[in-house]
Amino acid sequence: MILLEATLAGLVLGGMYALVALGLNLQYGVARIMNLAYGEGVIVAAFAAWWLYTAGGINPIFGLALILPAAFAVNWLIYRLALTPLVRRAKLREQLEVDSILATFGLLFVVQGLMLVAFGGAYYSYGFLSVPVVIADVTIAANRLLALGFALVLGLALYLALTRTRIGTAVRAVAVDPVAAGLVAIDVRQVAAASFALGGALVAAGGVLVSMFLTFNANIGVVFTMKALIVVIMGGVGNLLGCLVAGLILGLTETFVATWVDPGLTLAATYAIFLAILLVRPQGLFGRAAR
Amino acid sequence: MLEIARVSVAYGQHRAVDDVALRVAKGEIVVVLGANGSGKSSLLKTIARVLPSAPGGSVRLAGREIADLPPHAVVEAGLALVPEGRGIFGELTVRENLMLGAFARRARAGEAANLARVLALFPRLGERLGQAARTMSGGEQQMVAIGRALMSAPDILLLDEPSLGLAPLICGELFRALTRIREGGIGILLVEQNAKRSLAIADRGYLMAQGRLVGEGDAARLRADPAVQRAYLGHFDAA
Repeated sequence: MILLEATLAGLVLGGMYALVALGLNLQYGVARIMNLAYGEGVIVAAFAAWWLYTAGGINPIFGLALILPAAFAVNWLIYRLALTPLVRRAKLREQLEVDSILATFGLLFVVQGLMLVAFGGAYYSYGFLSVPVVIADVTIAANRLLALGFALVLGLALYLALTRTRIGTAVRAVAVDPVAAGLVAIDVRQVAAASFALGGALVAAGGVLVSMFLTFNANIGVVFTMKALIVVIMGGVGNLLGCLVAGLILGLTETFVATWVDPGLTLAATYAIFLAILLVRPQGLFGRAAR
Repeated sequence: MLEIARVSVAYGQHRAVDDVALRVAKGEIVVVLGANGSGKSSLLKTIARVLPSAPGGSVRLAGREIADLPPHAVVEAGLALVPEGRGIFGELTVRENLMLGAFARRARAGEAANLARVLALFPRLGERLGQAARTMSGGEQQMVAIGRALMSAPDILLLDEPSLGLAPLICGELFRALTRIREGGIGILLVEQNAKRSLAIADRGYLMAQGRLVGEGDAARLRADPAVQRAYLGHFDAA
């Protein structure tokens, strides 16, 4: 019984990690921006959902319809205004990675500072659909199930868009080889900007869904950045299936360790698994070894 | 018609391409011969705008200046490059590679007809549409690269050492395909070390050394020229 309960809880958490990491995969794998402010997007979106719900009575699912386009627009602006100059001057991918790490490290503190000014350091939460649902003798809160459902829908939609449409295939082509992408008339800068923005919208979706069942404060964004990084690297950079599998592994591990060992050891368990997988497969679970 | 004039490429102090002028008309194959490091590759890359050229040069396609365009706009203008090392998307399938070839707006209307033409040219690709491109042999990958470039419905096709690393048999197959592409009215600018094979199919040729063009002429005349034979048809001639 506890096993089933922990598994379900682990899947919900893992689904959130996978969704959040999908966005980082777009930003890092396609746009080549290593975004250290990435997890702040989770928290900004969580606060936005909280505010819409408590002040406007707008439930978080409708909130998604407002927050996702806004997050896309804001991230597109960040890319155009703050990151495009770095893209222009970078001669090599590696140089852009280093530059973007430094720039987004600064962005992290700006965003975090603004949130601290607005909300202080206190923990926030709200009660939306926190009614118990019983599935096969296991009790779980309805909002967690809803969050898992939406994560699956968004992940599947992204997968189909990337594999079944011409523009999605173009996005993957930029991830594989940006120079060759230019040779088939793909406007690489535009695709990179759109991928960065789409990644920002996905992380915002993760934030809204997480806010329905987790408490959050202005300081914990960096936790999501770290988890997303671990999931992306563990799954293999640029690999969507790897993202899903690694996210679920992480969510299940954390829940199991918290249930049977000690909640204080979840982070240690996360890193132990991360280390073990990288020792066996340095390129990630589904990644390809560099040629 | 592709016409370039005063085109130079500099890496720091070193001029890899120095004041080059050449032209390629529709329906002709023009070959640029030169040893390793003579600047042939840089020349093609800068025409396709993958590599920035020094200011003052002119690259005109059907009379229109394209030297200031970004790479994707050059393809829209009607020029496609098959780069050295092929530049195909290895993780993607053959079908996806060809589909992306027709990403240019100019190529959308004729996509089905172009795909049929490419598959008629390289029947082997038709059997392997669902296969990841990286799992194919070198010659087949070169077919994917050329097929992908043709999918953009180009007026001018640039090819950077297509025979590099290929077995003689498959090499012959590829060069025969190039003559069929020429029959379709496409102008081909070919950069090669394999002088014998490329002069056999070319209409005209240029000789390049240390970044400069040092000779030009009809392919037949170049083939017969003793100096050319010594420099380019001697020890380079492996196939």
